[in-house]
Amino acid sequence: MSSQPSTTQDLPMSSAQPSPAVEAPASSGENPIRDAINEAIAEHKVILFMKGTPEAPACGFSARTVAALQSLDVPFAAVDVLPDQRIRQELSAISDWPTIPQLFANGELVGGCDIVTEMCESGELAEALQ
Amino acid sequence: MPSSDEIKQRIEASIPGAEAEVEDYTGGGDHFRATVTAAAFEGRSRIQQHRLVYDVFGAEIGGEIHALSLKTRLPQKAPTA
Repeated sequence: MSSQPSTTQDLPMSSAQPSPAVEAPASSGENPIRDAINEAIAEHKVILFMKGTPEAPACGFSARTVAALQSLDVPFAAVDVLPDQRIRQELSAISDWPTIPQLFANGELVGGCDIVTEMCESGELAEALQ
Repeated sequence: MPSSDEIKQRIEASIPGAEAEVEDYTGGGDHFRATVTAAAFEGRSRIQQHRLVYDVFGAEIGGEIHALSLKTRLPQKAPTA
């Protein structure tokens, strides 16, 4: 029966695998969005921050990255960064990576569209996502 | 709006010994594709290599420069006889 503080919010997650919704941390952290992003990265083995959703990507780079993941048949969680500008700002601050999409595996940044595509073609991606 | 040439020159000026090929692939001055070859990439992961190039442009990436698609390469070593 606890109510979340109104300043915390869930990330707009969609997931190709059944996974629990990301819960915004109940702690009174100063940066609930950053906390929620860190938590999502920690909780999902493979997670993609993208524009739009895997079903309806809103950018060609995001679409190509989704296609690379789908070609490997790897389940992944996805977060749409478009609904709230702050998600993108906080994500880039965490990852030190300026562009979207960003793919994380096992808690670490794998890369954006260029790197993911290159790694997919060379066969390295499957390994990185294990 | 930066031109392909400006992007190329800035990369080459900022990363010692780098050679860049840059293409404006929409013609709109905001979507670029670059292949950068530099000895400075040696010993760095792909992510670190791309960061070196992104760092040349800072906040312009995602701003004025909507997209900078990258390929990074190490210079081919001269074949040993």
